[in-house]
Amino acid sequence: MKHLVYLICGIVVTVIFFILSCSSGFNIYDQLFFDQALTNKMYNLNMFPTIAAITIAVAWGGAAIYYYAINSVKFDRWYHWLAVMGVVAVLAPVACFIYNDAVFEGYVGAKVQFEMQTILFAALLYVVASFSMRWWSTNCRHTPIPQ
Amino acid sequence: MKNIRQLPILLLCCTALAGLLSCGGHGQLEKAVRMALVEGDTTRATYDSLCSMITANPDRYADMLTAEGKVDHKKLAQFIQDVGSRLRPPMLWDTRPYGGLMDLSLTIYFERSGSMVPYDQRSGGGQLKKAVNDVINHFPAGSKVDINIVNDGIYPYRHSVDEFLQDRDIYQSTAGMGDAAYTDFQLIFNKILEAQQPGNVSVLVSDLIYSPKDTHGVSLDKIFNEENSLATRVFARYKGKSVVVQQFMGDYSGMYYPYNNEPFSYTGKRPFYLVIIADTDVMDQLATDKRYSGVLDPQGMRNSYRFNQATSQVNCRVLAEWKDNVGRFRVKYGDKIVLDKCQGDRETGKLCFSMAVDLSSLMKDNAMLTDAANYDVQSLDGYTLTIQPIDASMVTAHNKEDLAGMTHILTLLGDLKSHSDDVHISLRNELPAWVSQSSATSDTSSGASFATTTLGLEQLLGGMFDAMKGGSSFFEVTVSVQQ
Repeated sequence: MKHLVYLICGIVVTVIFFILSCSSGFNIYDQLFFDQALTNKMYNLNMFPTIAAITIAVAWGGAAIYYYAINSVKFDRWYHWLAVMGVVAVLAPVACFIYNDAVFEGYVGAKVQFEMQTILFAALLYVVASFSMRWWSTNCRHTPIPQ
Repeated sequence: MKNIRQLPILLLCCTALAGLLSCGGHGQLEKAVRMALVEGDTTRATYDSLCSMITANPDRYADMLTAEGKVDHKKLAQFIQDVGSRLRPPMLWDTRPYGGLMDLSLTIYFERSGSMVPYDQRSGGGQLKKAVNDVINHFPAGSKVDINIVNDGIYPYRHSVDEFLQDRDIYQSTAGMGDAAYTDFQLIFNKILEAQQPGNVSVLVSDLIYSPKDTHGVSLDKIFNEENSLATRVFARYKGKSVVVQQFMGDYSGMYYPYNNEPFSYTGKRPFYLVIIADTDVMDQLATDKRYSGVLDPQGMRNSYRFNQATSQVNCRVLAEWKDNVGRFRVKYGDKIVLDKCQGDRETGKLCFSMAVDLSSLMKDNAMLTDAANYDVQSLDGYTLTIQPIDASMVTAHNKEDLAGMTHILTLLGDLKSHSDDVHISLRNELPAWVSQSSATSDTSSGASFATTTLGLEQLLGGMFDAMKGGSSFFEVTVSVQQ
């Protein structure tokens, strides 16, 4: 039952993150970084929800791969888990940047700065996803912190 | 719960559900509107493609259709406005010229009083006739056009419109119609307003000199007061009407009949006026519908003023980077424009920010728009306004998106002292200066300003202004400045 609560909480946090990326008043992507020209353009093109969806997919996908695809006693130490987090934290901003650059060109410096916050969001969501789904992993359920 | 591999699918469903809830049911249409606004593709073709998107999916967009299955242009315009208002900065797209517009009819009322005849002499430049012909020609071919002659009453012109256009001496061909000795505006305006049908534009061609019967021995002040109150009384009775007065100059050659009934001969320039009367929504259509372009902005017009003009919404963008900007700020758009995290200049403590605005929809001349004295600026920190028109030299690769479609730059400078300050800018709606400058208190001799003034114009238009003021301002913008 406790594990199910973790899962539900993880999903709720993720959905809240997504909703905050869609809102026009308090938008989560306005908070850490703001470049008038770039941020307004991305907002007008409705790109924040897609950027958020990419981040969520990479973070939850990374966690799912670690716990259910890798799922090996050889890789059940905390630094293995951390290594996957590192991959997620690199992959998410790169994917977001590619998407961003495909929609419109220019603003490269500002785009790179914008994607920095994706690193943080991806890492946080990876932690959330890990604590949501680790309990049912056959070999890695004790990673990163045994419970 | 054993089959945990379904977890990603569950998550995707949640994400999709959240996306659906946040985007509403008109996702595709909203996306198309958003793209049109963002890319500045606000053309008739784009509007038509939105209409076909709606008609192609009648079930999905049932609320955008009328009972007959046609696009409800008012609802679509509202939808576009809603999408535009959520953008950063909020964007406006005036779609009125594209859909659901009436075909307008035109009725000309040609004043035939004694002092109008010298405007259309064969030796003169024919400016009066040209101004009237232009109005008729600015209406598309096939429009219903009626012509009437007015003085003590309204009499239909007995010939066709083509004959009117070719008529070299309109006063000769209409000789004997009515009593040309006096002009009763109360009767004329009442008749025009009474006779006006929906979708009709009435144009009175007149010198706007009030000359009622039996003025012998009556003081000029009394005549002015009478003129002023009759104008108010007539127009106050017809709510929802909008009037545009256009001033022209014409060659005048012949007898002039002043208020003291001692006529004298005059040859030279004299002002004359076109008074355009229509329902407010028809006047709005005249201002925006390309089919009638030129009616409100004709060649040769010196001045104009629109009565009963409501406060307009104008497109407005704060320029994040501009040569005059002083201090730092961050722009947020919502119900109003917010500049937050403001910091004054390190040395002077002042904050200066500029906004690009589109004032073209106001139909005002540049001299009026660029005179800061016509604006009210209210704020705690005493912001002052300067305004300049946008010219090509201001546009750079960096700011061209912000300046696209904009006409003027409003620059506000103030001391950043208050923690939070609302800077309220409005363009006052008042009778323009040209009205008093073109108004005379005596017309008994052809003195210095006789060529450019009309007896009692200020009183007549002032009376109309009291009845049809419209909004207290032509447009208003509020910027919240927060430290």
